[in-house]
Amino acid sequence: MGTVLEVKELSKKYPKKKEFAVDKISFSVNEGEIFALIGPNGAGKTTTIRMISTLIQATEGDAIVAGHSIIKEPDKVRENITYLPDEAGAYKTMTGDGYLNFMAGLFAKDQETLDKYVERGKAICGLGDRLNEKIGGYSRGMIRKLLLARAVMTEPKLAIMDEATSGLDVINALEIRKMIKALAKEQNMSFLLSSHNMLEIEYVSDRVGIITGGKLMVVGKIDELKERYQAANLEEVFERVVKDHEVR
Amino acid sequence: MKFGNLLKKELRELITVQALISMIFTMVLLIIMGQIMGGAMEEGFDTSSITLCNQDDSEFTAELLEKVDSSESTDINYVELQSDDYASEMERLGIKNLVIIPQGYGESIIEKHEPAPIKFVSIFQSGGIASSISNISASDIISEIETVCTDEVLLKTYGLSDEEISLVREPMQTVEYTVNNGRIAEISASALGAIYMMQSMIAPFAIFFLLLMASQMIMTAISTEKIDKTLETLLSAPVSRMSVLGAKMLAAVITALLNALFMIVGFVFYIVGMMGSAVNEITINAGPETIDVAASEVTNMGQAMAELGLALTPMSYVLFAFQLFLTIAIGLSVSLILGAMATDVKSVQTLTIPIMVAVMIPFFITMFTDVNSMSAGFRAVVYAIPFTHTYTALTNLMNGNMLMYWIGLAYQIIFFVVCMFLAVRIFTTDKLFTMSFSSGQGKKGRKKQAEVPAE
Repeated sequence: MGTVLEVKELSKKYPKKKEFAVDKISFSVNEGEIFALIGPNGAGKTTTIRMISTLIQATEGDAIVAGHSIIKEPDKVRENITYLPDEAGAYKTMTGDGYLNFMAGLFAKDQETLDKYVERGKAICGLGDRLNEKIGGYSRGMIRKLLLARAVMTEPKLAIMDEATSGLDVINALEIRKMIKALAKEQNMSFLLSSHNMLEIEYVSDRVGIITGGKLMVVGKIDELKERYQAANLEEVFERVVKDHEVR
Repeated sequence: MKFGNLLKKELRELITVQALISMIFTMVLLIIMGQIMGGAMEEGFDTSSITLCNQDDSEFTAELLEKVDSSESTDINYVELQSDDYASEMERLGIKNLVIIPQGYGESIIEKHEPAPIKFVSIFQSGGIASSISNISASDIISEIETVCTDEVLLKTYGLSDEEISLVREPMQTVEYTVNNGRIAEISASALGAIYMMQSMIAPFAIFFLLLMASQMIMTAISTEKIDKTLETLLSAPVSRMSVLGAKMLAAVITALLNALFMIVGFVFYIVGMMGSAVNEITINAGPETIDVAASEVTNMGQAMAELGLALTPMSYVLFAFQLFLTIAIGLSVSLILGAMATDVKSVQTLTIPIMVAVMIPFFITMFTDVNSMSAGFRAVVYAIPFTHTYTALTNLMNGNMLMYWIGLAYQIIFFVVCMFLAVRIFTTDKLFTMSFSSGQGKKGRKKQAEVPAE
């Protein structure tokens, strides 16, 4: 099993801030693996994800995505990833179909590939005829489904998702979790997730990394962590790790 | 392919059905306004009817009015007044203007050899252009009465021939010359000024709207993407940031040009509608002979402007077009910087203000005064605004003031390079996501914004 993402002592310090927002964190994500970054608000999750997505520059360290450095080859990195930000929107004046076509056009090298991506996106989002309507008239849940479909339709090596199911009802959220698991298992797609929803992470992830105060405190399989911290569930593991950090 | 895809998306975002309707509506509105204004002015110029009350029973006045009547240019409606309360009399008669020849007018001129008054009463009509034109037209009637009075009645009474009357009327002929930059042409300075102003009126109007529209579009395009978080999705796709930036700027330019086209077409029709009727009226009243003279005067005017070096050459147009493009590019790059700072809709509105002020100040100043006639301090401030040089460019090119033109252009190029450098720097670094300007949120709102990057 190859490594899709190798994060090496990645750090970020914002100007005029004393503390590092992310401080020398290292972890890896394997092919077909679902890896989740969890942590309290302001822990550094989004900053880490934004650095890996090449949206912001790392102060120190590097991350290798599908063999390409985020520092030296950001263009190549972007060809191999998709990023779904938390509370992201879509272009309201476009139809759902138009949006999938536009986004597929940014990834596809020819028309045939573009059509394939769009068909895949249409099937995944399950919005049917409503894809012909303007996104401005969509509900929050519909937009999220469309964005999720967009994030996986291009078959990226690594799909990065910040709060993947935010805004979705229980049934839709469950569908999405199942879809992520299926894509990882059947198509060997890797996922880097970030979420506050411990139940979701516990259900969907293979491994988790708990980040707090910009530092990655612990990385491991959920069962191993539960055993190590003698916790009944991931929520308890999370609580103990965060408290340990605060004590230190 | 990717750039085309991005450009198509940006154009779709900017040129919506609503935007097109608004462009067409503005154009139609301007055309209608021109027609309304033209109609109002035509009404004002309409000298075919004048209300007159003759209170004088002298032979002289009767002969005078007979002559005025026979001139065919005036249709006099005679009325009788029941009192000296002109306001209520005019209301009773339903008239807007009234010329009164008082009793003793003829006697005063013929026997006493004293000037006699002719009264002119008009109702104030909201001070609009049409009402003032109407007053001017009525005053023309009085001067016509005066001419007939002297030419036809008085001078002929004293036995002068038509030639002698012409000599008395015009004992000399004024030939006016105007000098510009050492060149001289046979033309009246005031007539030249009027034509010059008309020619240089459309360009600042176009610059004003082009700049405001292009700036607002790019600001909205950037800020909306940032606020809706579509920008993060877009920039994590395999497209270069420069392509995204370029597509946005090009789409804003195309849309602004389209907007300006509709606006200018509307504005031209507005001017034609407003001025056309007035010009027609003047020439019709002047008679066929004067029409020929007017046409030749227009040709002479063009010739005189060329002689004075005030006519624009094809090269001047090229230089002006280049400067216009540079101006839009400056507006876009500044808007790009401001748009990147927006965090919400309110802040977008606030951030638009600096651009609006920078566009409006030189627009109004150059419209009403010559920047060079201002004090050194004010001049420095006004010339520091890069858009001033575009407003003054056409005048500089027409006057052959090339040094000022090149200085202005050089300043704009430097300004653009600096702004574009900053814009590209913002767009290609973390600043795009970390820069923020929150409006009206207070400390709490700003604190919340500041927390975002540390997530």
